[in-house]
Amino acid sequence: MKEPPRRRSAAKAGTGYAVIWCRDFRLQSLKRRGARDFPIALVDDTQRQSIVLCANALAARHGVAPGMPTVQALARCPGLRVERPSEASELAASRLLLETALGWVPGIEETAPGILTLDLSTQPLDQWIESAWHLRDRLARAGLEVAVGLGETPALARIAAQAALHEGVEVWHLAPGDRLARLDRLPFLVAECGAKLREKFQLWGLATLGSFARLRREEVAARLGDEGVELWLRLTGRLRRPLALAKLEELFEEHHDFDYEVHESEPLFFLLRRFLGSLAGRVAATGRSVAAVHWLVSFADGTFQGRRLALPEPSLDEEVLFRLTSVSLEGLEMKAAIRGLRLRFEPSDPVATQRPLFGKGLRNRHLHGETLTRMRKIVGADRIGSPRRIDSHRPGACERLPLAAELGETEGPPPGPPVTGPTLRRYPLACRTSVQVREGKPLRVESARLTGVVIEAHGPWKSGGDWWHRGQSWERREWDVALLNHGIFRLVETPQGWSLEGYYD
Amino acid sequence: MPDPSDKLAALAALRRELGGKVRSGTEFLEECTRRDPGEATTLAGLDALLGGGFKRGRLTEIHVPGPSRGGGLILASLLARARQAGQYAILFDVGSGFSIESFPDRDLESLLWVGCDSAAQAVAVWDVAARDENYRWFFLDGRDCTPEDWRAVRPAQWQRLVGQMREREAVGVIFARGPVTAVAKDRLELVSTLGLDSLHQDRETIVASLAFRRVEGGGREKAGRREGGERRMAG
Repeated sequence: MKEPPRRRSAAKAGTGYAVIWCRDFRLQSLKRRGARDFPIALVDDTQRQSIVLCANALAARHGVAPGMPTVQALARCPGLRVERPSEASELAASRLLLETALGWVPGIEETAPGILTLDLSTQPLDQWIESAWHLRDRLARAGLEVAVGLGETPALARIAAQAALHEGVEVWHLAPGDRLARLDRLPFLVAECGAKLREKFQLWGLATLGSFARLRREEVAARLGDEGVELWLRLTGRLRRPLALAKLEELFEEHHDFDYEVHESEPLFFLLRRFLGSLAGRVAATGRSVAAVHWLVSFADGTFQGRRLALPEPSLDEEVLFRLTSVSLEGLEMKAAIRGLRLRFEPSDPVATQRPLFGKGLRNRHLHGETLTRMRKIVGADRIGSPRRIDSHRPGACERLPLAAELGETEGPPPGPPVTGPTLRRYPLACRTSVQVREGKPLRVESARLTGVVIEAHGPWKSGGDWWHRGQSWERREWDVALLNHGIFRLVETPQGWSLEGYYD
Repeated sequence: MPDPSDKLAALAALRRELGGKVRSGTEFLEECTRRDPGEATTLAGLDALLGGGFKRGRLTEIHVPGPSRGGGLILASLLARARQAGQYAILFDVGSGFSIESFPDRDLESLLWVGCDSAAQAVAVWDVAARDENYRWFFLDGRDCTPEDWRAVRPAQWQRLVGQMREREAVGVIFARGPVTAVAKDRLELVSTLGLDSLHQDRETIVASLAFRRVEGGGREKAGRREGGERRMAG
């Protein structure tokens, strides 16, 4: 039975939670592999006697029930397919569950295998039910049948999910306005309370959760103790707890161990392609992009090599991701045979990476990253960068930073003192110079680069610094000189002697 | 067998008939360039000589015959213009003579500096960068390069570079002592000389006083001959 969506009111976020409950999760994780149209039972044969853990509806129709010996189950249902729990299938199913839920909200707790609790505080209240249906449909298409419960607290959302399972509906909302009325329809079994407590309720004539929630707390505490109070608090929405949010770091991860020794990179690239396609699709389903790629290659001698490759801009372009990762993998040092590959995607934070609509910046950050890599191979990594002044008076002191991806507005003149005069162009190596001095002023300059008569000189400009760092202190006297038929130059006098630093142009 | 002169006459008649309807690729490119107003600078004299500003998709040479002619000031003006327009620029600095204290911090925000050992290396790395759509301005500072340094660059590299620049509609400016390559269609020479007093003058005032001269013929023919000779050898 599909519950009609509520009429939309003002789009405001409310405090609330959703519980996604995948009944018989271990069995459903196996069913995803195609076992849907015949009776199937999951058995535990680690004990002396093999017993049925759970069974699907077709098997149940033949009388197969949990806890039953497997032999008996097979006798009741001759066509029963017996399966053992598969950790790999369960892991894949739980990841699918988490990834799909991540497309709705970011705050998710993995409460138990097959059970997620979602914090809906970031979602508009009037979209909860619609989003719940959407999520349920997506999971159903992926092969997981779930029930979604919505409530003010994690406990109420869990009760709502149990109610949905109990009544055979997909979405159940315990809204604050009609909570008691809805609880009046639910038996105590839904609240997962103990058998003894349920027996007491039966003896007292209490049949529904609603009738219990209407009791006064003091009366419940006097007659039922802590267990009763805890249930009462849950039903009245007074029991709140913080969610232990799931770690998403290892969510988008694939790994493969080779059955044979691999000595070439070709199989690695083949595997990489496969992983990229699968992981990119999974990240895309959450409405995010890939911010970084982690790869880890394990070798037969027990060693590992790995790297984290940050993307210039989050992307889902498989070609970009492949180029980035394959270029990095090409530099792999294969001292031993490859044993396995592990690939992980770091999803982006969609809000943090939102770019201004009319901002000026790099048009294609991926291309820029690739261009830089190629240029570095030609000139060297230390000879590329956006120059920035550093906090020092040492002439020419600067650092080279990555180019700013966004450029701000440039209204008015540049901040700081006005820049006057021509620019200085430094010689690559300071040119040792012999200087003839008269009355403290340079008169003639002789060096391997040029020789000339000084027709005018301004200076000296004294500077020094870093004397507080052992062995790094510097001291100099600068002269700006005009040399006949040559131009304007900067002449520097240091304790080591005179040198021609460069020319003004 | 038909007379070849008849064929030529027929071809000429056809051309007359078609008139301006059909143009060669070269004519088309030249017309596109003529129509392009170019990237105007704040330097009135320079813009006038270039017909409105630096043409997109072309290389322009600025010849700085010696120190203290104002080559660095032109570079500083162009960097400021690029930053003001929110466009990124790359400077290929042969000899790494770039001096950070000569430029305002803000103008450096959109600049990527690339230190190069030689002219050949600068052109090689420019060839890589020219394929990147993020950059609008490319500057090659080869003021300290000798003619021998420029000769080490293969003509095919320049041709490829111009092709990339045309595709991206980027502006390329080469600062050099003299002629560099035949593919540069615009060449200007700085003819003014700066005095020591200019060190304390407002930069805008100095830039406004700079004088240029358009270089025609000689340098280009020389470069053309050299490259033509290399092409023949390669053939």
